Amino acid sequence: MNLSSVESLAYSLPELILVFATVGILMLDLLITRKRILGELALCACGGAALASALLAGAEQGYLFNQMVALDGFAIFFKLFLSLSAFAAVYMSLGSRELDNEHPGEYYTLLLAAATGTFYMASATNLLMAYLALEFVSLTSYVLTGFIRASRRGSEAALKYLIYGGVASGAMVYGMSLIFGLAGSLDYATIGERLLVPSEANGPILFIAVLLVLAGFGYKISMVPFHMWSPDVYQGAPLPVTAYLSVGSKAAGFAMMIRFFYVALSHAGAGGVWATIEGLEWPNLIVLGSIITMTLGNLAALRQDNVKRLLAYSSIAHAGYILMGFVVLSDAGLRAMLFYIATYYLMNLGAFTVLMMVLNNSDREDMEAFRGLAWRGGALPAAAMAVFMFSLAGVPPFAGFIGKFYLFAAVIDKEMWMLAIVAALNSVVSLYYYARIVRTMYLDQPLKSDPVMTTDWHSGAFAGVLAVGTIVFGVYWRPLIDLADKSLVFFRG
Amino acid sequence: MSLWAIGAVKSLLVLVFVLQLSAFLLWIERKGSALIQNRIGANRANIFGVVPFNLGFLNTLVADPIKMFTKEDFIPAGCDRFLHALAPFMALFPALITFAAIPFGDSIVLGGETVELRVVDLDVGLLYILAMVSMGVYGAVIAGWASNNRWALLGSIRGSAQMISYELAMGLALVSVVLSYGTLDMQDMVHAQGRTVLGFLPAWGVFFQPVAFIIIFVAGMAESKRVPFDIPEAESELIAGYFTEYSGGKQASFMLADFAEVVVVAGLVTTLFFGGWQFPWLAADGFHLPLMGTIEVSALVVTLLQLMAFSLKVLFFCWLQILVRWTVPRFRYDQLMDLGWKGMLPIALANVVFTAALILARGEGS
Amino acid sequence: MEEFSLSVAAFYFMAGLTLLGAGGVVFTENIVYSALSLMVSFFGVAGLYIFLNADFVAGVQVLVYVGGVLVLTLFAVMLTHQIAEIEVSNKSVGRVPALLICGGLFLVIAKALRGAEFFTTPGGQVSESSTYGIGNLLLREYILPFELASVVLLAVLVGAVVLSRKEVIAPDGTPVPERETIPLTEGQRVMSSPRAALAGAAAKQKVSDV
Repeated sequence: MNLSSVESLAYSLPELILVFATVGILMLDLLITRKRILGELALCACGGAALASALLAGAEQGYLFNQMVALDGFAIFFKLFLSLSAFAAVYMSLGSRELDNEHPGEYYTLLLAAATGTFYMASATNLLMAYLALEFVSLTSYVLTGFIRASRRGSEAALKYLIYGGVASGAMVYGMSLIFGLAGSLDYATIGERLLVPSEANGPILFIAVLLVLAGFGYKISMVPFHMWSPDVYQGAPLPVTAYLSVGSKAAGFAMMIRFFYVALSHAGAGGVWATIEGLEWPNLIVLGSIITMTLGNLAALRQDNVKRLLAYSSIAHAGYILMGFVVLSDAGLRAMLFYIATYYLMNLGAFTVLMMVLNNSDREDMEAFRGLAWRGGALPAAAMAVFMFSLAGVPPFAGFIGKFYLFAAVIDKEMWMLAIVAALNSVVSLYYYARIVRTMYLDQPLKSDPVMTTDWHSGAFAGVLAVGTIVFGVYWRPLIDLADKSLVFFRG
Repeated sequence: MSLWAIGAVKSLLVLVFVLQLSAFLLWIERKGSALIQNRIGANRANIFGVVPFNLGFLNTLVADPIKMFTKEDFIPAGCDRFLHALAPFMALFPALITFAAIPFGDSIVLGGETVELRVVDLDVGLLYILAMVSMGVYGAVIAGWASNNRWALLGSIRGSAQMISYELAMGLALVSVVLSYGTLDMQDMVHAQGRTVLGFLPAWGVFFQPVAFIIIFVAGMAESKRVPFDIPEAESELIAGYFTEYSGGKQASFMLADFAEVVVVAGLVTTLFFGGWQFPWLAADGFHLPLMGTIEVSALVVTLLQLMAFSLKVLFFCWLQILVRWTVPRFRYDQLMDLGWKGMLPIALANVVFTAALILARGEGS
Repeated sequence: MEEFSLSVAAFYFMAGLTLLGAGGVVFTENIVYSALSLMVSFFGVAGLYIFLNADFVAGVQVLVYVGGVLVLTLFAVMLTHQIAEIEVSNKSVGRVPALLICGGLFLVIAKALRGAEFFTTPGGQVSESSTYGIGNLLLREYILPFELASVVLLAVLVGAVVLSRKEVIAPDGTPVPERETIPLTEGQRVMSSPRAALAGAAAKQKVSDV
């Protein structure tokens, strides 16, 4: 199925909901005085988008808007996931004290706009569309990062983000132009077909082009050496925005990267095994990237005292883990990636939610804010945090362990021992700093000066849901892995 | 005759036309303002006192330029000498080359070759004009910055803000014009205005796009930075705005650029809305008068009539702008911005939507 | 070496102009000169478009970049305090390594490009005007990127307003909305809005009554 513009509208309900909500909130902001309604509206829009994405699951696969975007299992999986990420971000924003009195109309407008961009990142099958969507998400993210004007750290982070982002996307668009020059088309499937013919002369320039494009993707998913922005930005941005960047925009980056590398630069063989186009060994490059990313992320996280910054480094490390599934060139690896991204959603958002509750309570986000949390009224948040931390570290019986298990299985199946050993060592290292938070919460006694932890019910409920999810998928993960399996459908004409 | 020669002749012709008209306008302006303000105005031009009557326009055609260009070219201390010298050219250049895309007559056959009566045959003529008009800002901006003078800098900041703001309304109004003509080629637009509607009315653009006409005319006046839109120079607030620190020939260039812009706006409005070089009811073979039948006219006369029609129309709109200039007081900055952003921009946008809907409803869009 | 002709010369002239302008942007110390060099570069690019028979794109290039983006840049430069005279405190920000890396990258890319065989479409008849073609492509095949770009611009516009709003922190730590922070003199207030000035005077009267 290859639909033209008007026919495609029926299949882009999630995006339409988000765009209309974006514009609607902007206008409604002028009319109403109870600004909380805006956030609730944004929440409904994200929920609606999730529902609409789920409803698309039964639809016929195909191209929409004259081959600009694809409607396939992969896209629908990510649309569902991304609308849930946006939902979580909006939900957290509603509960965050940081963002009180901070122009909610513009804030939710930008947040929903970013969500729209991530949708197109996940489904774009055209270089132009992909670049536009990536820029869309980046531009809105810069503003969201510096949204609290009074925060100097936020403004600094926004500027750093902007500069790194500008350089990365400049490199990326240059790489894309080279690829366009070599293939004569912007369409992924056509590029894949035309580059399939091995060419001695074009090998080097194709490699350089892919390297340049990788800079853009690497920046989005915070892969070393394009990760430099992320600690500062994660620390400086408002917490719900940080949570969204670490889950939503990162997942969209992975989705875009998978589609580009698998559809345009590889071809599927029998039995769920993929092969790169001849003469372009990008997996070796990314294996290196994966190893360095997880090692650097984990080592840097060891020394952090600020929990937000610690989670930033942990997020870099997790990007490294997820890349393990990327380099094995098999359906098993991709399935493990999707599964891991989904579980990462649960545990990472959970950690951020608890951090936000602590931040709301004490206006602090460093390790000391967690001191003896369990013994001063915060038993439930502390328990939830412990679940998330152990899950992030990959300890059974939590979802993070299952995710890592699938990733390791895919890597070992390909006999990439080096990568597997490094990743295993990294998991051990990461346990140190995750466990340190748990130790601070339980084994350290609170000081007299530490405030009593009070919890508002909706943040608590959200953390609770995420914690239950983390545990349930750690024990009964069948449905999720089946979903990931079913979603490995790339429409390529 | 080679193409190069024809091109050169055409370019020279248009350049001279614009320059002469600009100088002539200066005289009209001085005399016109005198008329409006109930005084006599420039009346001291004579050649060694031997001519028994006043040679009014010699003032501006000869005396003023001589005076201007023999004055000291003063360059203030601390200014950026290169940019200070560059700015007058940046102001004059776009104003002069904008006219290149405006046709001043139908194509004629000359020595077996068809010659279009315009300097360049541009398919995207309107876009070219808009692009060149948008470049007019640079003269003001650079002049103000290079002068190392607060008033001048303030003037150039105001100028850039004003021109950017009005360009938007102008661009949107042009969109609706393009929608109704279905082309960006100025010559095609003029040809389209050669028809008659209802048997007698010339199919001039103004009857189809009256709103766009008003917006483009007003925005055009704002682009030329003249009263009532002269806040970039506002002599009662900023001395002389962005050219405070200019004297002699450079200042003359700024004045010339201003008048050239007046001519360009008049040419643009004439071409888009008042039939360009079309003489009412005159076709290539003669007059087709309503109710009175056809009068045959030779091709040479037709061409001359067209040239005359174009010149007269342009002159009329130049005069209208001068009339406005001496009738309306200067806007205040906030009034200016309100008019641009809250008044003209929404109206222009609504006009685009309305035009598009109309075209769609009549089934003309394919 | 290609055969020398006028069009080849024109191409090299335009390309040279583009590169010269781009170099000027990077290497001049004065930011206004940088902006003007950028203009030269934009014109070079517009010339290259004309060279490729893309007159519409060339027109838009001048209209949007020279007439819009760059003017706004200059506008921002002038509004920013003393941006032209700013002293870069750290002059030795690793110029030599940067030069080595960039030069190396340039050489590698140039080497790779020399051998590359780019995809070429069979040369067809170049149409008279590209305007119709572009219009059709934008509103048919590329309608989605076209519309998405408008949403991007809207979001960026909102973002720019958000980031540039003025906000001052009151002593008790709460941000004060902008309209209360601009200190207007009485004269200015009368100038900008006589009615507001009257209201303000009335309010002051009340305060002093209390």
